[in-house]
Amino acid sequence: MLETPYVTNYLTEHFGEEDYPTIEGYERVGGYRAARKALTEMSPDEVIELVKIAGLQGRGGAGFSTGMKWSFMPKDTDRPKYLVCNADESEPGSFKDRILLERGSHQMLEGILIAAWATGASTTFIYIRGEYAYPADQMERAIGEAYAKGYLGENVMGTGFRHDVRVTRGAGAYICGEETGLLESLEGKKGQPRKKPPFPAQYGAFGMPTTVNNVETFSHVPHIVEKGANWFRSFGTEKSPGTTVFGVSGHVVRPGLYELPLGTMLSEIVFEHAGGVPGGRKVKGVIPGGMSMSILPAGQLDVPMANEFLHERKTMLGTGGIIVMDETTCMVRVASVISYFFRDESCGQCTQCREGTGWINKIVDRIERGAGEEEDLEVLLDVAGKMEGQTICAFADAAAWPIQGLLRHFSDDFAEHVRQRKCPFAESFEL
Amino acid sequence: MPKITIDGTEIEASEGRTILQALDDAGLLMNGVDIPHYCWHPKLAVDGSCRLCQVEVEGIPKLQIACDTPVQDGMVVHTANDRVKAAREGVMELLLINHPLDCPICDQAGECKLQDYAYDYGVKASRSKEPRRALKKNVDLGPTIVFDQERCILCRRCVRFCREIPKTGELAVFNRGDYSVIETFPGTPLDNDYSMNVADICPVGALTTKDFRFKIRVWFLEEVAGICTGCSNGCNIHLGVANNKVYRYVPRRNDAVNDTWICDAGRMSYREIGAPDRLRECMVRDESGRLAPTGLDRAIEVAAGRLRRLIASKGAGVIAGLASAHATNEDLFTFRRFLSALGSETSGVAVVRGKADDLLIKEEKAPNGAGAREIGFGDARTVVDRISSGGIDALITLGHDALHESLLGSEKPLADLDTVIVLDTHASELQRVAHVIVPVRHAAEKLGTFVNVARRVQRVVPAVESAWETYADGEVLAKLGAALGLEGFDGSYDARQVARDLAAANPAFVGIDLDSVGDTGRLLAGSAASGAER
Repeated sequence: MLETPYVTNYLTEHFGEEDYPTIEGYERVGGYRAARKALTEMSPDEVIELVKIAGLQGRGGAGFSTGMKWSFMPKDTDRPKYLVCNADESEPGSFKDRILLERGSHQMLEGILIAAWATGASTTFIYIRGEYAYPADQMERAIGEAYAKGYLGENVMGTGFRHDVRVTRGAGAYICGEETGLLESLEGKKGQPRKKPPFPAQYGAFGMPTTVNNVETFSHVPHIVEKGANWFRSFGTEKSPGTTVFGVSGHVVRPGLYELPLGTMLSEIVFEHAGGVPGGRKVKGVIPGGMSMSILPAGQLDVPMANEFLHERKTMLGTGGIIVMDETTCMVRVASVISYFFRDESCGQCTQCREGTGWINKIVDRIERGAGEEEDLEVLLDVAGKMEGQTICAFADAAAWPIQGLLRHFSDDFAEHVRQRKCPFAESFEL
Repeated sequence: MPKITIDGTEIEASEGRTILQALDDAGLLMNGVDIPHYCWHPKLAVDGSCRLCQVEVEGIPKLQIACDTPVQDGMVVHTANDRVKAAREGVMELLLINHPLDCPICDQAGECKLQDYAYDYGVKASRSKEPRRALKKNVDLGPTIVFDQERCILCRRCVRFCREIPKTGELAVFNRGDYSVIETFPGTPLDNDYSMNVADICPVGALTTKDFRFKIRVWFLEEVAGICTGCSNGCNIHLGVANNKVYRYVPRRNDAVNDTWICDAGRMSYREIGAPDRLRECMVRDESGRLAPTGLDRAIEVAAGRLRRLIASKGAGVIAGLASAHATNEDLFTFRRFLSALGSETSGVAVVRGKADDLLIKEEKAPNGAGAREIGFGDARTVVDRISSGGIDALITLGHDALHESLLGSEKPLADLDTVIVLDTHASELQRVAHVIVPVRHAAEKLGTFVNVARRVQRVVPAVESAWETYADGEVLAKLGAALGLEGFDGSYDARQVARDLAAANPAFVGIDLDSVGDTGRLLAGSAASGAER
């Protein structure tokens, strides 16, 4: 059986069709019409303007305006310009890009082609995480088909526009999903984020002007070009238009993917779409957007899944990876898992991140073992605070926020560990 | 030129410089404006990773790293308010949670930036209860450097140094996060002509030189400004002195000469000073043909007697002088005057040549070839040729560089000379043919100047007292001149006065004396770059 989202919309509606990942299957449902329209009927500036008006936000985590990002690419330059597709999906709890690569290969390629036209890029590098073997193979196949059809290469669709697409494989580092860490890795160097400025639009891959967009971001583009900004804005909220593919995991009846408009209530996704917690147990907390985002306690799930609302609750949409935890979950254990991940994945450049992630992990583990002291909680918050906003990239923030969130909403769990000098959930904890 | 205000003081900065660079240009960094920093080094690429140099820039919400924030006209910077201090304390605390508390046995103690900044900007006690990282100790990185991974704070200066300065790139950071360690690649030890600089730029005791480690506590060392004598680049150094002994050379910053670097060969040349083959006493060849120790007066008397006898029989034309590029300008100017007053017509300077690179290492393996030539000593070749053609009966030689295969090849061509007078620091084959030997001082033991390859006059001062009965070359020549009754020689020698005489006699040296050269030197008059002098 084909793996398809439980709820589909324009991005994923054909994902259940056997031949949709092939160029024939994609074209049969109208594929590549948008690219042809953009390349033959629209100027690059018109495309950028359209995407701006549509209000498409990057779906890789930061939620920055895609049209704005494209407009940062220098116009009058004889240097080659590059696009990079960030397919290094490594955020724990996030698994939407995989299916968009596997099933929506041509949809994404078409988005890339339109973005290349808009930004004047000569080459796109699709940087796919090392573990995504099948998605990488499938993308290679799709690229081959597009070249064979003349949709890529020296003379795209007979318009004289030239564009090449290459697949580059990562080697298994979370930090290579950070756009400048990705660029370093793409160049064959150790994946360590760069100081900014200069930003990639000035100095990106191989020193050339570069725009980095997420897999899903590209995938929305053909639909916007084909159906218009107003159509796109008919989904989602005023500030966050369109749909997104939510990945729901954890203690739910139906873990999986759900393409829903931005602004869908978190409670609706968890309880209605994903069927709530199995076995009649209660929800304890939900991480709304991948592991680097702050957790929301059960009482705060009545929130629309869009940044403008999530910000009020000190969290973010992130990658839309929703992780549900039920009442049997030990939040100290959760903190331990999260802090171990960030300790392990910190690139180690900046002092606060390198030392802070390790220290937090050691303290949390000690509390979980029952050897914590009351003052440890204060130290945890203080160290997390000192990591925030002081480093080269946002990794340190991403490592600090979930810990701050867990301490903010579940300080009782931590206090109980200290008081009982053991994990009160030790018996029930079994994943 | 953008003007920026730092803690209420306005400074002018050059376009395109960062805050730290602008302060460094103005000579204010850690010298009036204290912005502690680890990864930033004035001569290496900006890294921006240690995050210690954070400052508050008005109008920017987040603290900014001073090393990588370009100056803008009107920028107002605060380097010491509570917010900045809290951030600094945060970084210091984090750096210290894994740093071993082994200062009592650490060689860097006393010149350790982690120690210094912990006192200045740290908190009193650590809140960490966790075990420190256990990593490799005593890692042999190559022939010159030993590495303690636990002490390393991962500022990566050494990594950037190897990539950017010798461009050998032996070092790299391996692994990620707090498992990060600096290592060499398998089969590629840290081995280049400048490798020991990594120990200087290491802010902590992680990288130490095999040569200096465990020799002496650095707080016992007096750092005397001097010049490396290994080649004609004249790299500026500090001589580390204690107990009247030089324990090490470390580079002293001079952006016009050596930036902050020195080559390994030059660094190790401190060993010449107390070398076992230093000449320790005057010697005179007696009737039996053996060299016998004697005092300076007797040596001068014998030398003068021999020269007088030759002048009487053959005239001063048979006397040649070989200058050394290891001698100071003051020595050489005295020698020049001596030879002229004597009436000698044959002289030259012997310089040993060797491997050079495009960084610091120069072809001439002595500090003062340029000074000798400026003072009128030509190529030693002419002296060697006249000796082999039999036109010379007496040779006065400073040093033994003329023995080099490119000149005399050995002492044998001198064996038939009537008189060989040697003023030298170290023993050599010249002892086989010398009639009079006078031990002279090493550059670390005397006052004077050298002229480097770029025509910069630089000063050496006595860092140690010679352990033996040695003299400045000029002093010996002054006494010999007086003993011979030469005009203008009364037997006294004062380097300061000679320098003034040289400036008066030679237009290239105009305005240069032992005070005006200062610690960083001055270009000879008429040098191309003299207009750019600070």
